[in-house]
Amino acid sequence: MNLFGTMETSGSAMQAERMRAEVVAANMANAETTRTASGGPYRRQHVVFAADRPNAGFLDSMSAAAGASGTATAGPLASAAFPTLILPGSGAVAPGVHIAQVVEDTSAPLERYDPGHPDAGPDGYVAYPDINPLTEMVDLMGATRAYGLNSSAVQAEKGMITSALEIAKS
Amino acid sequence: MSMQIDTRLSEQIGSYLDLATAEIKLTAANMANIDTPGYRTVGLDFEAEMQGAMDSADAGRTPRQVRVRDVDGLISRPDGNNVSMDREGLNLAEAQLKFKVGVALLREENQTVMDAIHADK
Repeated sequence: MNLFGTMETSGSAMQAERMRAEVVAANMANAETTRTASGGPYRRQHVVFAADRPNAGFLDSMSAAAGASGTATAGPLASAAFPTLILPGSGAVAPGVHIAQVVEDTSAPLERYDPGHPDAGPDGYVAYPDINPLTEMVDLMGATRAYGLNSSAVQAEKGMITSALEIAKS
Repeated sequence: MSMQIDTRLSEQIGSYLDLATAEIKLTAANMANIDTPGYRTVGLDFEAEMQGAMDSADAGRTPRQVRVRDVDGLISRPDGNNVSMDREGLNLAEAQLKFKVGVALLREENQTVMDAIHADK
């Protein structure tokens, strides 16, 4: 059982949540952007989280490199000295989270009548990104909360490591 | 007479600390995946695991692996995720306290051995 591994789990979540907050910030910053490199108005982005695949740790890479056949838990390096958490079904506990992809919203842009605008179409309508500040703020709040939750988990883990160091002190 | 520094109690406290660490690990994994679609909360039965660890220690076997199970009775969100922020926060605090208690007990136990070593002073 490794407490530092736990910190990595929480760290991966903090990284992912920060990325989510960055994407929200980009959406809000570009709420009025009518020109992009790909042409047309800016399109709202959002992130998709995915749990890290279990059994992708050092031990498994090592077992794989050592030419272990079958699953990593059955490899020569897997023994009582390296206890892993095994689910009753298959696989182990997800060691963290990552952003699988950043997807673009496919909803149609908002059309606003502004014939004087340089990006206005022949009918005088300008295509603006369909970004709702409320949705973005709620998403930002969620990201902030989850970030705080995971940072308090890191604090807890730090406290535990520190107190584990006290065992040997007399 | 053989030398025995580790007492039975200190081994048991060791298992207790291992379980508290496993609990923290699961809580951290749940917290990390609070926004992952389809993720299900995982947990362990502390009492059963502790009992199992004590039994295998008494029988002289190597400790068995911690059994992780899906937690029932939580409300799933529309995306299939059922992580509860409150449950995880409480679990984190509880596991932290358990760990602190274990450390305090282990220190006490070690102090007893140290006192025996320094009994001539």
